[in-house]
Amino acid sequence: MHHQIVRRAGAERETLWVALAAGAILVSAALAVGLRAVPEADAPLAAHLIDSRTGLTAAEQGLYADLKAAGEEIAALREAEGRAPTPEELAAEALPPFAADPSAAARGGHAWTFAGPFAETGDGIAYAGVSAAPELAGSLVLRLDGHGADIWLKRAAEAPPAPPEDAALAAAGWKRIVSTFTAGVTR
Amino acid sequence: MTSTLPSRRLILAGALAAAAMPAATMPVRAVAAPAGRRRFGVTLHPYYSYVANIVGDAAEVVPIIPAGFNPHAYEPRPEDIQRIGGLDAIVLNGIGHDDFAGRMIAASAKPSLPVVESNADVPLLPAAGTAARAAGKVVNPHSFLSITNSVLQVSTIARELGRLDPDNAAAYAANARAYARRLRQLRADALAKLATAGTASLRVATIHGAYDYLLREFGLEVSAVVEPAHGIEPSPAQLAETIATMRKLDVQVIFSELNFPSAYVETIRRETGIRLYAFSHIAHGDYAPDLFEREMARNLDTLVLAMVEAAP
Repeated sequence: MHHQIVRRAGAERETLWVALAAGAILVSAALAVGLRAVPEADAPLAAHLIDSRTGLTAAEQGLYADLKAAGEEIAALREAEGRAPTPEELAAEALPPFAADPSAAARGGHAWTFAGPFAETGDGIAYAGVSAAPELAGSLVLRLDGHGADIWLKRAAEAPPAPPEDAALAAAGWKRIVSTFTAGVTR
Repeated sequence: MTSTLPSRRLILAGALAAAAMPAATMPVRAVAAPAGRRRFGVTLHPYYSYVANIVGDAAEVVPIIPAGFNPHAYEPRPEDIQRIGGLDAIVLNGIGHDDFAGRMIAASAKPSLPVVESNADVPLLPAAGTAARAAGKVVNPHSFLSITNSVLQVSTIARELGRLDPDNAAAYAANARAYARRLRQLRADALAKLATAGTASLRVATIHGAYDYLLREFGLEVSAVVEPAHGIEPSPAQLAETIATMRKLDVQVIFSELNFPSAYVETIRRETGIRLYAFSHIAHGDYAPDLFEREMARNLDTLVLAMVEAAP
């Protein structure tokens, strides 16, 4: 006698395969997401550093850019004349932020003085700007040597230590301003 | 008769050779150019002015986008990509205003073309308005709408072009310094006009988030930016919210843009009664060495006028 088992109508097998395939996709997706390297979190800045983009007030950001540009002009003047120009000479050249103009007044009214040479990096020179309104913009120090300029900030109406060396500035609560280049995000 | 055949052949071969000549010499010419006058490419109007003033007659400045194209909505065209093949270097904004250039260089005959990153030494600001995201990772690309940051860029460009063209490096540096002095004088002149007004504080809103760099030079901060993105008009709900924000912040002036007039700006002005002034984005007109100085002088005059008229 011939027996034949006829499967009842249904889609259990197909459903099983589809479910398995879906499961495999989900598992592989979870693995891919899980194994993908987490983008490196930005290392927090050292205590004596401050970021120009996120850590400064609007007035400080403007002053910082001006000081960077002034640093190049001062270096050129120094090379041409064989001596460091005084803050008064820089003001006479209308070089911001040394020029006493309405912009200087609106950004803290800094009083600029020559903060003398500092020996740390050879023939370094420094200019100090003591703020009259630290809530708008803190006091600033521009230091120049043969390798370029660096700029320090302290949110107080306070002159920097003399000589304005790294360790002395950091110990007195000054922070060096740092800026980073970020290329366009759609490049 | 027979003698004519070789001569015809000769003529035909000569004609073919002549036709093939431009194609054959093109790469040779591109390679040979550095021996003579260098060709430096630029993407945006201000950079044309910067580089033209730095190089003077010592090199040629080549805009890769024809005048009249809006860099905010520019799509690379084959003929513009072809132009890159004849350059010795290209000067880029590089922080978001000419991001199309990288893809054009990659697709060009010179994918390894030296690139000058003008903004390498500029302290960049975070993008304004709703473009501000990712905790300052997206930067405001309008560093050219500022005197100080233009001076910084001019110095960087001169230094980098001098490295690529050592014979002219000293001339580039001297020209850059002279140009920087002229730019600084523009700002000094504007501030001298402001000195008589007796005020330097202003609560500001801008339509396009392009002017933070410029306003920072005057100690001004932008309280509100209206456009969600450049050229994208806010929805009625966003507009209502912006108007409410401006009233709450007691904004005194709105800075709009000369070449992008928008109907909704008038609505804001009518609803709030706030004075409206228009800045130039320096993205229009023919490329010219003095374009940046002309347009920036006008922008500075506009800013001074706004500050004087807002003075109590």
